[in-house]
Amino acid sequence: MKCFRLLIIGLLVLVPVIVVGAQGEGMNKAKTIDELAKMYDSSSCKDCHAEIYAEWAKSLHARSIFGPAEVGRTAATIKTTIENGLKDWPSSGVKKPEDVGIKHLMICAKCHLPQLQEAEESVAQEIVKNIYDFKETGDKAAETLQKLNIGCLICHQRNAIIHKWKFGYPDKGAVYGSKDGEHASADFAKMKNSPYMKESILCGQCHGQGPNFEQENPTQCGTLYGSYNFAYRPEGGTESCQDCHMKKSKLGHNMQSYRAMGQMAVDMKVDAIAFQWRDVVTTTPAASVRVDLTNHAGHAIPDG
Amino acid sequence: MVLYVTAKTKEGKVFFQDQRIYMPIPWQFGIGDKMGRGPYEKSGILRDTSLPPLRTVTEKFYIPVYNESKKEGKLIRDIITNDFTVEVELWYLPYGVKDDEGNSQMWQKVTKTLSISKGGK
Repeated sequence: MKCFRLLIIGLLVLVPVIVVGAQGEGMNKAKTIDELAKMYDSSSCKDCHAEIYAEWAKSLHARSIFGPAEVGRTAATIKTTIENGLKDWPSSGVKKPEDVGIKHLMICAKCHLPQLQEAEESVAQEIVKNIYDFKETGDKAAETLQKLNIGCLICHQRNAIIHKWKFGYPDKGAVYGSKDGEHASADFAKMKNSPYMKESILCGQCHGQGPNFEQENPTQCGTLYGSYNFAYRPEGGTESCQDCHMKKSKLGHNMQSYRAMGQMAVDMKVDAIAFQWRDVVTTTPAASVRVDLTNHAGHAIPDG
Repeated sequence: MVLYVTAKTKEGKVFFQDQRIYMPIPWQFGIGDKMGRGPYEKSGILRDTSLPPLRTVTEKFYIPVYNESKKEGKLIRDIITNDFTVEVELWYLPYGVKDDEGNSQMWQKVTKTLSISKGGK
């Protein structure tokens, strides 16, 4: 009887805490694209880091859910995912674009917009509406979709700590880099060291290893970190993603792939000779060409 | 990614073309024998001819510089040209076609000028 009383008292104390926790979590979620963009707004970073911000603005990270500025190919691929995938799969729960929710978009947004997890279903619907409305660069839908991106706060805060039990959960009041200290910002007054910041695993969170098995219906986009781990490192490679895509390329935060890295990544050596081969009665004019292609990148080319 | 090898006469007439394709072939849902195209249906790699890191892939091409015919039962190989060029181009084609401005990229190009001697036995 004493135990029963204690259980009741315990429940009376715990239930309100659980409810408040759940409501608090709900209250923190973005209800619109604008709210989600504001939650991860990194425009104030450019006040002090203008050059880095300008570099980033040229990268695909700056338009991660829209895609290349001219064509919006990422948005088009999300639309294809809805039309050819979600609507076609009997157990997806999607029969029309209006049925698409956060969990459906997360199969793309895991990497293209991980902060979507912190948004309500209304944001998923707003994104889908803009994807279907999008016709050409410069239209309102294109502008709206480009408010959402992999900004400073994704790599330098939200995703800056990978092993959270060991190194702690990311501090919302800090930005993560390569040292601890003060940070001259009202919103982010602390600078914290992330042990991952210069390591390939930071990038590997999205530029992945293959099927995303944690999803109900796994997708696969990048396989670069898999190739890095299982092909490049076993060959004796020692460089990181950041070494090549930021430092050697001199692109800094304007991280690029094939548009800027190709000539640096692959050497081509060509030897050719012409000759005449002869048997008793026939002369055969021919040439022989040998091509040696050497991939210096930290992963297979191209990516799958 | 595609390696193109093209042989041309001095006048620009193409008499030989060949290519090699380098790409991982994503596996449709990781089952069966079909390639998956969109990220939503890719799971795993069905086959892979991509260029592996820190390795050299060597390709060899044999270019016949003749037109073949038969005359009175004898094999005849008439030379097409004595002077020609061989163009070797490496293209990155993210959507599979060269004619795709802003996406397709030529990464490397080498041109070799070759000659086959005239006369003699």
